[in-house]
Formats: sequence, structure tokens, C-alpha cells
Amino acid sequence: MAYLTQPDYVKYVCSCGQLKPITNLYFCRHCLQIRCAFCICHEVDSHYCANCLENMPSSEARLKKNRCSSCFDCPSCFHTLSTRATLAQPRQSTEQGSGDTKVENKQPKKMYYLSCFNCRWTSRDVGIPDQPVASGGWPERANPYATRVNQLLDYYKAIAQQEKQEKLDRERKKFAIRGKYITLTDKTGLTGAMARNIAGLPSSESSSSAIASFTPSQASEEVEELPEEFYTKELNLNQITSMPQRLASPEWQPTHVSRLHPIAKLLSVKRSQRCRVCDHNLTKPEYNPGSIKFKIELLAFYHVPEVKIISYEPIKPGCTSALLLKLTNPTGHEMQIRLMQPEDIPEPEERVDEPKSIEKSLEKSLNLEKDTSWYETVKRKPILLTECRITIPDVTLTLAQRDDAAEYDDDATHDANDIILWRKSNKLALRLQVVTSGEAQAGAAAGAVLALQYRYRNAVPPAAQPPRDHTLHAALRLHLGPVCG
Amino acid sequence: MSHNIKILPGATVCEDCTLEGDITIGGGTVIHPRVTIIAEGGPIIIAEYCLFEEYSTIIHKKSDKQENPPKPLFIGAHNVFEVGCKLESPCGHIGESNVFECRSFVGVDVKIGSGCVIGAACSLNAPQTLADNTVIWGSEHHNREALEKQPSQMLQLDFLSKVMPNYHRLRKPNVHKRQTSRQSQEPIKA
Repeated sequence: MAYLTQPDYVKYVCSCGQLKPITNLYFCRHCLQIRCAFCICHEVDSHYCANCLENMPSSEARLKKNRCSSCFDCPSCFHTLSTRATLAQPRQSTEQGSGDTKVENKQPKKMYYLSCFNCRWTSRDVGIPDQPVASGGWPERANPYATRVNQLLDYYKAIAQQEKQEKLDRERKKFAIRGKYITLTDKTGLTGAMARNIAGLPSSESSSSAIASFTPSQASEEVEELPEEFYTKELNLNQITSMPQRLASPEWQPTHVSRLHPIAKLLSVKRSQRCRVCDHNLTKPEYNPGSIKFKIELLAFYHVPEVKIISYEPIKPGCTSALLLKLTNPTGHEMQIRLMQPEDIPEPEERVDEPKSIEKSLEKSLNLEKDTSWYETVKRKPILLTECRITIPDVTLTLAQRDDAAEYDDDATHDANDIILWRKSNKLALRLQVVTSGEAQAGAAAGAVLALQYRYRNAVPPAAQPPRDHTLHAALRLHLGPVCG
Repeated sequence: MSHNIKILPGATVCEDCTLEGDITIGGGTVIHPRVTIIAEGGPIIIAEYCLFEEYSTIIHKKSDKQENPPKPLFIGAHNVFEVGCKLESPCGHIGESNVFECRSFVGVDVKIGSGCVIGAACSLNAPQTLADNTVIWGSEHHNREALEKQPSQMLQLDFLSKVMPNYHRLRKPNVHKRQTSRQSQEPIKA
């Protein structure tokens, strides 16, 4: 169970060893493993502006530096700026003075400015003139270092291009089939590039003008002296920008509040998650930025039995306390659950018995030696040693499937006994005993571990096969407050 | 304590609010229901076109070193007191065109200039003087100086003074001419 503002009392162990609440976990239906954000692949699906919900293809987003062209953030407090309308006095427009506007002068003209509802910053504060149109048309400030940045970009692009070319050349050389005829360079062991090198010519076509004309920047020891006014003038902190304000617009880094400029809003992305082991999607959001639905949503919350703590007796060293848990079956199939100690979970054996379809082997061969080294670095052993030990009853519990209509029936089955407290549709409450060792330190956090073995019916992939039942395991750690003295 | 509430014509004051002590409410001011204004330490004078939203509380606190006759608390024109704000009135004077945002708190010994904004849930406790056009916002009480005064809420006030009578019982204006001196008005209503 996860709470918004409270600590997570029940944490599940992900297949990579991380401890996370069930709402933060995914369940790969193809590997039948719990996955978490740490061990899956995050992919960017689409870019959109969180304010105007405009969708943008990634190439366009890159071109616009991942910023929305019509929405702005407040440079003072980073809240989204709103457009406000005012009626401009006709007097002003005569001052601007052109022959055409004189006709309109009779009616006040609607003008727009940007305003922040949080800190009341307005675009007028820094002297940005009001705009006659509601969106767009805001003056953009030129980056003073634009030429240098472009130069650097070109340079690195050229280097990347060159390296790519070199790599390609190397590949080609590796697989080059020797012709019948021995060329001169082959004979002498001289390649074209080497010949050029010896002759002192720039190495072939790969070096472009961008690399040649690039001048690296020079670090200098001499720094300009601080102007005298820094020592003499009284400081008005209201006029000076804060560090976050400066860093929010790295191109200008205004030191003075009068130089603050609206910040184009950063785009958000919709992500889809992919299992790194089997490359199947775990979540895939709908493309439309206004929609919060998912096309694929393999969350652990819908597939793994959920455990909640109802209550527990205070944990005392050397004592036995009662612990009440609630188990919920979120799936649409009946589920058998056995409780066990986490150390009794059998090591997952390699699944070699799986029939390999042609399609699958093709997929494998296309993947060209899939790199799985990441998994070894990511994987860790969860720390599940605790001073509290739950006494595991040797029973198999059967949980009915989830039935949204069931809450209207009240014929609850009463098979309550020592362990089962009550049972209601797909939920069931358990009474367990927690034995705390005498060495537990008073005041330390008390945690107990528990493992579930559950029958999971995999109904969906592939459609032609009959649903298969699997025996799966989930380990979890319960947070039982502090140890009482 | 004398209950002496003077409402000038043009003010919209709902009946369902707590007004105690010597209070003068200027024309064009709108006071929503459930507003509390208590003048225990001295009279409160509210100028024109102020807006008091629901659950805003203005208290002119009694203090030990009270002058005699007690100093009035003067609230300038075009002030906006948003829902649930609290002003434990300081010494004397509040400028004009200030905005006290929702659930803001201004303690004793805070002098407020004109055009200031006390952000939502900001609380000012330490003795201080806010310069004109100071804006305070956020949980960390950031502050900055605005260039100009906050725009007035005239449209909103006009709308409220038109709509409010349709849905609320109002207190009637009991002072008919601004020029009349306070003494002559005193016996009229208690």
C-alpha cells in the first residue's frame, strides 16, 4: 500500500532487488516478473506542452530546444505565466502615431501582457511592450553567444560525422573481399590515408571545414576586477536575481531583476516503459496529450496480490505480537496464495523448456547478441534480514476473483478460523504472529518480511494458447513502526 | 464597548458578518458574509472600494500602551482581503491597493505600505515595514518589488454590488452624507 503523504508501510521486492510500494511497480506478463522503474527501459513517446497540450514531433521539439513556442514560465518564481488583457488608452496609440491607427483610436484597443498569478510578476515589469494578439509574438531575446554555440555545435557534429565515417571504413575493411588483383597499396602496405599522412596532407575527405576552422577556447588567468560600486554601493536584494532565477535562463543569466525575461515553457514527454529482458511494452500511454489513459498498462497493482496492514500490536523485544493483514486479489481469476518465508522462495530456474517459435528465434537473431550485462550491475540482493519473524501458517488461502459487482452482495462466506479473520469477495483478512528476537533495539524501526506464493493465470498472450497457470512468488517487507522498549 | 458601525452609501455589507466596535465603512466597499471585523483597540476606518472576502478577519487589537484617545486603524482604498486572510491590526495605517491573499496572516507591528501583496498562506509575524509595491509569495516568503500597483478590482466590485443584494440580506447604509461629522451620527444607531 502506498500513501501520498505517509511513508510506504508495505514494500515489495522487485526482481532487481529494489524495495518499492506496489503502486510503483510493473508486472511483465511475458517474463512473469515484477519490474520497477529502475530496471526497465524508459522510452520517450511524444513531446507536448503541459500548459497548452500541444503535441510536437521530436524533431520539431529538438529544433525548438524542447520548449513550447506559445507558453511561458515566470522568470521570477517559475510558475506558468497567464495572458491578461487590458484596454489600452487611445492616447497611447496616438503616441505610437501612424496614420492608419487614427481611425481605431476612437475605441480602446485590447492589448495583452503576461502575468504570473503566484508572484505577480508581469511582462510590464521589465518593459516588454504589450502585444496586440493574445498568443505568440513575444519578443525573443537573442543569445549573445549564439555564434559561438553554433560553432561548437558544428564542430562536434563534424567530429561525430568523422568518427562514424571512420568506423564505417573500418567495418568495410574488415569484410572487404580481396579482389583478384593486388593493388599497389596492398603490396606496399600503404593505405590511402597513410600515404596522405606521410605527404603531410590533411587526412582525406573526412576532415571538414568546421574542424579545420575551429578555434578552441582559451582559459585566461586574468579576470576583470570588480567594479568599485560593488564595495561602495548599498545592496538592494530586491533588485538582484537569485541563483535559481539566473540558472533558469543559462543564455543570459541576468543579474538584475529588470533583465528577467519570460522563459519559454519546457516540454514534457509521454513515456512508455519496456521490459529490458523480453522487450515487451509494460506501459504505453495514449498519444493524445490530453488523455491520461494507457493503451498498455501492466502494473503490479493489477496482477500481484496486494497486502495491506490492518493493525498490529506494538513490537517488543522477545515478545510475540499479533499482526492483521489484508490480502486482495486484483485479477479476474481465482487465486491460491500460500505464505512463506522469503528465503524459501526457490531460485528461478532457466526456462529452457519453452518452445521456441520461428518468430522468436528470428527476433533473437535480429537482436544481435543482446547485451545483458546491465542486469548484473543493476541487480542487488535486497536486505530482508529483520529482527521480527512472522510465524507462517501452513495453509493455502483461496481468494476469489475481483468482481466489481460483488460489493452489492452481502452473502459473505464465513469460513473464519484462527488465521482468517474475515473474507469478503476478493479480500481476506489474516491474523498472524510476529516473533521479535530479544536483541531488537528499542526505538529502532521494526520490519517483518513475508513472501507470497500465488497461482497466477496468464490469460492474454498469445491468444491461441489456453490460459496457463503459473506459480509465482513475491517477497515483501512490512514496516511495523518502532520497536517499543 | 460601543457598537458604532457607520456604513456609507454605496457600500455593500452583508448582514451575516461580525462587526464589533467603532467601524466606518467607505462607499463602494463590499463585505462578504462571514467576515469578522473587530475594533477593540480603537476605531477602524475602511476607505472606498475595498473588498473583504469570506472568512477574512480584521482585528484592531488592544495593546498595553494604548494612546488615549485610541488611534484609529485606517485601511486605505482598493484593498483586497481574500478568503480566510487575517489581519491583526498593527499600528495605524494600511496603504491602498494591497492584496492580502487567501489565508495570509499579518501580525501586530507590521506596517504595510501601498500596492503590497501578501501571498497565499504567507504569515508576517516579525515587526517590519513593507515598502510600497512589495510582493511576498510562497512557503519561503520570497519577496520582490513590483513595478506598479496591483490593478484595481473595480469590475469585480461592481459585479458584486449588483449581485450580492439578490442573494444576501444586507446592512443598510446609515450615513447619508460623507461630510457629516462623526459626533452627530453617533446617537442614530447602536
